Amino acid sequence: MNEFIDQALLKPLQLLGHQLLTVLPNVLAMGIILLGGLFTAWASGFFVERLLRVIGFDHLCDRLGMNAALLRGGVKTDPSRLVGRGIYWTVTVLASIAALGALNLAPINQFAQSLLAYVPHLVTATVILLAGYFLSNFTSRAVLIAAVNAGLTPARLIATGSRWGIQVLAGAMALEQLGIAQHIVVVGFGITWGGIVLAGAIAFGLGATDLAKGFLERRLGGRPKTSAVDDLHHW
Amino acid sequence: MNTSRIPLTAPTEASLQDIGSADILVGIPSYNNADTVGHVVQAVSVGLAKHFPGYRAVLVNSDGGSSDETTAIVARTTIDSQHFFISDHQSIMHRIVTPYHGIPGKGSAFRTIFEIARRLKARACAVVDADLRSISPEWIELLLRPIMAEGYDYVAPYYLRHKYDGTITNSLAYPLTRALYGQRIRQPIGGEFGFSGELAAHYLDQHVWESEVARFGIDIWMTTEAIAGGARVCQSFLGAKIHNPKDPSADLSAMLVQVMGALFALMEQHEGLWSRQGESQPVPLFGFPYEVGIEPVHVNVERMVTHYRQGLADLEPIWRQILASDTISRLRDLQGTTGTDCRIPDELWVQVVYDAATAYHQRIMPRDHLLKALTPLYLGRTASFVQATQGLTSKEAEHKIESLCRTFEHMKPYLVERWRPPTLQPVTPALLHHTIVVAGGDHE
Repeated sequence: MNEFIDQALLKPLQLLGHQLLTVLPNVLAMGIILLGGLFTAWASGFFVERLLRVIGFDHLCDRLGMNAALLRGGVKTDPSRLVGRGIYWTVTVLASIAALGALNLAPINQFAQSLLAYVPHLVTATVILLAGYFLSNFTSRAVLIAAVNAGLTPARLIATGSRWGIQVLAGAMALEQLGIAQHIVVVGFGITWGGIVLAGAIAFGLGATDLAKGFLERRLGGRPKTSAVDDLHHW
Repeated sequence: MNTSRIPLTAPTEASLQDIGSADILVGIPSYNNADTVGHVVQAVSVGLAKHFPGYRAVLVNSDGGSSDETTAIVARTTIDSQHFFISDHQSIMHRIVTPYHGIPGKGSAFRTIFEIARRLKARACAVVDADLRSISPEWIELLLRPIMAEGYDYVAPYYLRHKYDGTITNSLAYPLTRALYGQRIRQPIGGEFGFSGELAAHYLDQHVWESEVARFGIDIWMTTEAIAGGARVCQSFLGAKIHNPKDPSADLSAMLVQVMGALFALMEQHEGLWSRQGESQPVPLFGFPYEVGIEPVHVNVERMVTHYRQGLADLEPIWRQILASDTISRLRDLQGTTGTDCRIPDELWVQVVYDAATAYHQRIMPRDHLLKALTPLYLGRTASFVQATQGLTSKEAEHKIESLCRTFEHMKPYLVERWRPPTLQPVTPALLHHTIVVAGGDHE
């Protein structure tokens, strides 16, 4: 009977206890890393948010038109808060991955490795999107002003086209970086962009022959504009 | 004080060694002006020979790499003394033809002229454009005599112009300079100037030669810097200014960027001075004013108004960032008007300029965008001015400009309030030696 109790009950319990004792430091380490990570996430998020507020980041974003863009997208949180929360969640995710790694279990380790390997792509894609956003805003404003000053009636259309062109390009580059439907994105973008350019060229060639002819004559022939209807001296 | 020397070419250095020193220097910046530069050199030579025969004089041509005959013409142009009733007792007029270094532009050409003036210890200098057709020898006397004989440091030109000639000067450069710095200099961006050797050295010491000033903002910079430096300033009546038309492809918005950009940048630099400056004072005028027939200028008001309306329709979101809400709402009120009946009154134009200056100062957007976005507003204002002065003589139109200037001065507190002044600098003139200027009195 005693032998049965030893074999059937105590042994498994001993094994379980032994296994628990082996895993316990890892679990403890996981808990400490998780708690430390959460605290670091909260602290870094809090301090970055405060710092950004102090240096007038919200004001800068307002000037760059980001606040308006966020509002258009239904986001009412100010940019400092957004960056703070972004840092909080980034650190939290990284800490969670590190904490899971502390368990030293093969499938979890593999998952953590692949997740960590994906982070640089994620960061690059974010940078591309942000750069594309700023560049599109800057370019579309420059295009709008230049088109109005040149007296082009569809100035806003041209400016909007330039904005979306850059944003679509940035989006396609970001998706390619993330490895999402790489071929479809590249082919789709190529077809769309090529189509737009071809359509523009055909429309200009068919609908604005005289304009194109006049433009080329002025540029290549050096003839003055015939539409110069006044001789006002501004200087 | 920056006493480092500006590099000159070896032949120029050799010429300077030969010449040693000079009393008078006349500079001609040029770039492909073969058509007109001969006439300008003749006028300068006759002017110096007739009016300053006993002085050691130097003519400096600072060229921007002309591909035509400009420099050769400057070097070989001579005058026939007999035809101009010039006395035989003359000092030799030296001639230096030199390329300039630095960023291409009129400012860099002037820098080389200033450097040569400093090396030669010239007492009085003048600069005249190489594209002038109406320059006469008397211009040289009028630009130099106030410095040589009257003790002035800076001589601005005073031209007779058609009421629609120089609209940037009339609606912006003159009224704003006058309101800010208190000196009624009618042509602050004229192109021809006289100045003392000391002022030339002061110009050289300023760290602006790698900026936009080195390109095209040099005229307004020289005038403002002279006032801000405490120089004694006067004007000389030169008659009509006729010169080769500017490059027809020159973009209006690029011109506005140059002038407005220089004006606003100088406002930042001299904030302590203009924010305390009270009412403007007249500036002495030398020469004999007379009337001349001026060629009519044809203006297409409809085109300007259309341009303005498009700006109001398309650029409103950008204008909202630049202008105060009250200014925008007043501009929008004009949208209801029909046809060419779209007038920007004086007060509203002044408000626009002051708002734009403040926005430039606060860097609310890239400055290039800000300045270019104002082009339709400027055209709207110019159209308003043309409509308001139709049927008036140039003299009568001048009263309208005077009225605009008074509005600029009257509304200056609005600018000071919006500018958000930080710490005001002392007004003490940094440069020159003059103590209190008393009309007709001595000065140091």
